[in-house]
Amino acid sequence: MVMNKMTKVFDCIIIGSGVVGSSIAYHLSERKKYEILLIDKSYPLSGTSGSTQAWVWVHSKTPNWYGELSMYSAELYAYLEKKIGDFEYKRTGGIAPFYNEGDRDKALKLAEEQGKVGIKIDVLTRDEVLEKEPAVSPKIAGATFSKWDGNLNPFRLVELYIRAAKKNGVQCSFYNRVTSIKKVRGIFHVETEQGVFQGNNVILAGGPWSKELGKMLGVYIPVRQVRGQILITEPLKPFLKYTIGGVRQTDNGEVLIGYSKEEVGYDRRTTLDVMQQTARMAIDLVPALAKANIVRAFSGIRVIPEDGLPIFGEIPGIKGAYIAVMHSGITLSAIVGTLMTELLIDGETSLDISRYSLKRFSNLPNRKI
Amino acid sequence: MEKSTIVCRCEEINIEEIELAIKNGARTFDDIKRLTRCGMGPCQAKICMNPVREIIATYTNTPLEDIPPPRLRMPAIPVRLGALANGVEDFKESSIASVFGESVEDGDEQNDESV
Repeated sequence: MVMNKMTKVFDCIIIGSGVVGSSIAYHLSERKKYEILLIDKSYPLSGTSGSTQAWVWVHSKTPNWYGELSMYSAELYAYLEKKIGDFEYKRTGGIAPFYNEGDRDKALKLAEEQGKVGIKIDVLTRDEVLEKEPAVSPKIAGATFSKWDGNLNPFRLVELYIRAAKKNGVQCSFYNRVTSIKKVRGIFHVETEQGVFQGNNVILAGGPWSKELGKMLGVYIPVRQVRGQILITEPLKPFLKYTIGGVRQTDNGEVLIGYSKEEVGYDRRTTLDVMQQTARMAIDLVPALAKANIVRAFSGIRVIPEDGLPIFGEIPGIKGAYIAVMHSGITLSAIVGTLMTELLIDGETSLDISRYSLKRFSNLPNRKI
Repeated sequence: MEKSTIVCRCEEINIEEIELAIKNGARTFDDIKRLTRCGMGPCQAKICMNPVREIIATYTNTPLEDIPPPRLRMPAIPVRLGALANGVEDFKESSIASVFGESVEDGDEQNDESV
């Protein structure tokens, strides 16, 4: 129960308790300076952060400065795990296969660009891939490989962020939808199903629901909703060592498969046609999977900014309002939580984040919100 | 029943673990599933669905009919991946993307713009 909701003014109200919102709540709370409220319309992990393969994926993120940001986040996860507990982070190394020998030149160009920011990529031949990961099909032509990529358990990560945040005094209000946000004499009034909360700062971390939250502040948030469908096998003995573009094996032995993208709004159904195509993709890539049993399919709504790149920082024109929305929240939560905390509490960030500002969309033709 | 009574046989989750999740704010079967793995095993909640709903109803003093069932998904019973893929020749024209393909396409566009 959140107390004194009519009179109390929080230092910061975070809307959205997915991996991005809960990371910001935890990292802010670590400084012990802010009184923080974390609000969610549902329960943590009920949305995008709970329906993902949870790769921490670095090497093929372009332009290379976006790859660099992802690399720093991967770097932080190892330390974060020491602070908040085991979320099964494994820097397995990542393999992104290609099927045509003609793609090798593009792979070499990618390796050159990413190498400039310290992301070492090896462009492998078919035999080199098979030597690393014998289960991969000899039908591939080669792959890009980097030691930076890996994966984690998203359920553990978000639960541990919230547990640590609560321990540091963050108040949580779940199953409580925000219905409007008004700024009155410099203070944000966040109206919810369970009353009004006041805050000096407000952070929108709504993932695919960011557009609706932006509207409440009169701001257009340029993101698309994209459905991804994923298949899960029964637990299999460990046989995949690396995180492979499209497939990875969990600590429990289940293999998660899928890399589909459909624009169908908030529709989270799974469909037989995409499940079948996903099954074909998996068998073409790892033939032994043909004999594995699928126990479930699931889908999640990804959020993809219109230019594909993360959006985080201040909302231009509204002092005290911030946004953090990105496709790869699982990869980026550690660095984004860190940088947003620096921005709010210190007023400056250790990395230049101007490239990630919502401002970059201001030259788009005026859009109806 | 004892707190140690197993509710989810596949993942061996007991009453105490389910009550702890509810204590932490979980209100639906799926909330509990994501915290505990209850219902994530081979039977996909066919056995534990109603016992868990009853625990939620009792613990939160809510009528059982107001506790939603877990989200049910295909397949109804485990099915071999090979059987699912049968008849699908390729996925080039489908909604399945390629990690490598995306990085080099995006890279080309964005590197050109940044020059």
